[in-house]
Amino acid sequence: MNVPVGNILVLAAILFSIGTAGVLVRRNALVIFMSIEMQLNAVNLTLVAFSRELGNLNGQVLAFFSMVVAAAEVVVGLAIIVSIFRLRTTVNVDDENLLKW
Amino acid sequence: MLKYIWLVPALPLLGAAINLFFGRLLGKFSGVLAAALVGGSFLVSVVAFFELVSKPAEERVYVAHLWDWFTSGKLNVGVDLRVDVLSMTMILVVTGIGFLIHIYSNGYMHGDERFSRFFAYMNLFVFFMLTLVLGQNFIVMFVGWEGVGLCSYLLIGFWFEKKSAANAAKKAFTTTRIGDTFFVVGLAMIFVHFGSFDFDKVLDPHAASTLSTATLTAISLLLFGGAIGKSAQIPLHVWLPDAMEGPTPVSALIHAATMVTAGVYLVVRAHVLFTPESLNVVMIIGLATALYAAIVAVGQDDIKRALAYSTLSQLGYMFFAAGMGAYSVAMFMLVAHAFYKALMFLSAGSVMHGLDGETDMKKMGGLRKFMPITAAVFMVGAISQAGIPPLAGFFAKDPILSIAEKSGRTIPWLLADIAAFLTALYIARVIFMTFFGKERGDKHAHESPKIMTAPLIVLAGGALVAGFLFMRGLLPSPEGVFGRWLEPVTGIFLEPEGGLPETVLVLLSIAIAVVGIWLAYTVYASERWVAFRERFSTTHRMLENAWYWDAAYGWVVERPGKGLARFAAFGIDKGVIDGVVNGLGTVTKGISSGGRRVQTGMVRTYAAVFLLGVVGVLAFLVVRS
Amino acid sequence: MSVEQLVFWILAPISVASAILMVVSRNAVHSALFLILNFFTIAVFYLVLGSPFLFVVQIAVYAGAIMVLFLFVIMLLGVDREESLKERIKGQRALAIILVVGVLAEFVTAIRLGVGVSAKGAAGWDLVNKGGNPQALAKVLFRSYFLPFEITSVLLIVAAIAAMVLTRERLKVVPDAVLDAEDEEEEVLA
Repeated sequence: MNVPVGNILVLAAILFSIGTAGVLVRRNALVIFMSIEMQLNAVNLTLVAFSRELGNLNGQVLAFFSMVVAAAEVVVGLAIIVSIFRLRTTVNVDDENLLKW
Repeated sequence: MLKYIWLVPALPLLGAAINLFFGRLLGKFSGVLAAALVGGSFLVSVVAFFELVSKPAEERVYVAHLWDWFTSGKLNVGVDLRVDVLSMTMILVVTGIGFLIHIYSNGYMHGDERFSRFFAYMNLFVFFMLTLVLGQNFIVMFVGWEGVGLCSYLLIGFWFEKKSAANAAKKAFTTTRIGDTFFVVGLAMIFVHFGSFDFDKVLDPHAASTLSTATLTAISLLLFGGAIGKSAQIPLHVWLPDAMEGPTPVSALIHAATMVTAGVYLVVRAHVLFTPESLNVVMIIGLATALYAAIVAVGQDDIKRALAYSTLSQLGYMFFAAGMGAYSVAMFMLVAHAFYKALMFLSAGSVMHGLDGETDMKKMGGLRKFMPITAAVFMVGAISQAGIPPLAGFFAKDPILSIAEKSGRTIPWLLADIAAFLTALYIARVIFMTFFGKERGDKHAHESPKIMTAPLIVLAGGALVAGFLFMRGLLPSPEGVFGRWLEPVTGIFLEPEGGLPETVLVLLSIAIAVVGIWLAYTVYASERWVAFRERFSTTHRMLENAWYWDAAYGWVVERPGKGLARFAAFGIDKGVIDGVVNGLGTVTKGISSGGRRVQTGMVRTYAAVFLLGVVGVLAFLVVRS
Repeated sequence: MSVEQLVFWILAPISVASAILMVVSRNAVHSALFLILNFFTIAVFYLVLGSPFLFVVQIAVYAGAIMVLFLFVIMLLGVDREESLKERIKGQRALAIILVVGVLAEFVTAIRLGVGVSAKGAAGWDLVNKGGNPQALAKVLFRSYFLPFEITSVLLIVAAIAAMVLTRERLKVVPDAVLDAEDEEEEVLA
């Protein structure tokens, strides 16, 4: 088990950045949501890598909890998107601009 | 009674207060009250006079310290009254003639809507004038100075519904204000150099000699500046003819007998401060005013305006005399002029009363048949002014001319003689146009009631006999009773020797007056003046408009002033100040209208901004480590 | 090169590529599928990093449950249409690229500064995973992190209820008069 930890961290950073780009650039609410999931995964990867590096399991436990919460969050988030869709038949994020000046 | 000298100004003040607050209730009685209170002041003054006379000449000074007014640093100003020969003269004139005029006003102002207000103002004026002349220090005098200016404004504009009257009041106030500014600067200089305003400290020849000539000249000229405004000398004379808009008793009291003489009083009182240079200025201005006003008076058709210019001219004579150092002569002229000018103004008022307010002499004529008493007393006043002995005016005018000639001031003497000729001419003109000749008026004239004619007769008596006070032998002289009475203040006047002999000068001045009267008789007693007027119409118009002096002021002062005001109002106030305030509002609006665009309502822009913040924070953390 | 390193260098490009393709795909279903691929690679990374438990959980929960749910919703909302390429917010794309590159640079800098590219794993890793990873994890989970564990269970219940509440049909309120009229109609018909 001798994967250089630095590499993994860089990879996680790259995945996180790609997820961020996805949040900013895409208009489809579902795709944005998926990008957010990717960000979460990148973070989990970082946590596990550090857990390995530092020699205890706290990182893994935290990654575990992160997954649980992510699951719950996906459930609620998708429910909201479905509700909005029922009201407006659109999942284009740009159309939800009622808070405009 | 000298201890109670404060009663002299206090009684009219009381009258003013009562009439101001309870005038409506008193009705016609307010006029009686006002006159009675001024009469009371006169009585107190007379008693005080006898007390003063009973003392030897050097001790004829009484200072009454009423109370401490204010102290500021080293300056102590108290409300102090000074009774000496000079102020005694003034208060006798003010209260005496004031009393007669108050009686007259009861008749003249009968039926006026604001009857009691008039008497309140008149009493207030008498109070301020008495304060002015009774002050022991320059501050008390200044209170009176300002107060008479205020009352003059109130009384000139008494019939303020008339636009011309309101404007005249404003004009009077603002013009004298210019003079007052000089006066105040002079007061400041006095304080700087003397450390006090008290007459005993300031008007002390020893104290004055410690200062440089330049300083004294400056101080005295600044004070004289105030006198120019108050006594309507050139160039601040323009308010006096317009001041005739006020009721005639006002013209008589304020603009003939008392307020306009305040300047003369000031110069005589403060003569210690005047250097030969500043006295020259006084003399020149006085002479210039005397001559200018006499010329213009010949062309005035309004009887009151003619008398107004006459007053200007006579005041000029008084300053001419003071400028030559002949202070007692100037004071005697003040007294004599007070009598005959007040007399003539009141008589003119009587004429106007009889003609329902007509003042244009072109519409008068032959009135002596209808108003014999008025005509008689008016003529007494006129002859006195022309300088025919043994009336008082002669004893005032002649010394001035002879002193001028004898002291070698030949050109001023000649100019003064011309002015004297014109004086006789214009005053006789008034008489002949009004009371003689064809009846040009269409109104039915009648004599005035006794309440108005009685004071006239008393004044005429004064004009007849006052001359004897200024006589030595049969000739007018500063060493007569009056001159010697004033010596403690004015000093002994050394009459100059040389020049033409006295008798020649006397006969010359009488001759000038007679020629003037005769000329007036030939032109104005008949109808020849109508033809004259047509031939010399341009000259006449020039004279009537007083050489367009007012128009000149309008160009020089009014237009730039209005321009400046317009600039300040629109340029500065609206442009800059409002611009800044409005600008602030506009800028705020702009910022907010631009700033609100941040709220796009779109999630993605918020996310982008979010990320921007994250980048920033991370950068900070990375750089720090 | 060891096996782990080989695995890493093969899977890392796949992971990045799938991520990029996920973001770039115009079809939502394609995006979801690419994401699933990404999750698989990450799961293998967990395995390489010595956590077989998370390897399985990742596949079972993330790829198996969450992404399936996503696909359900995508199908349900009929958003398998293509999304237009035109960007309507001005400057958004440029800003996004700049910021993302910036973030990435910062991360890499931080990593270099902090950790470096070292090859060592922690000493005594075998001791940590004694008795197998799940058992070791369970020991930590049920002892030190017991309270968060219970709270997350509550969280899951709440999430389920929330989903039901948010997506239920709104019942229309029918006045009694109309209901009575309907009953009368039925009786008449019957």
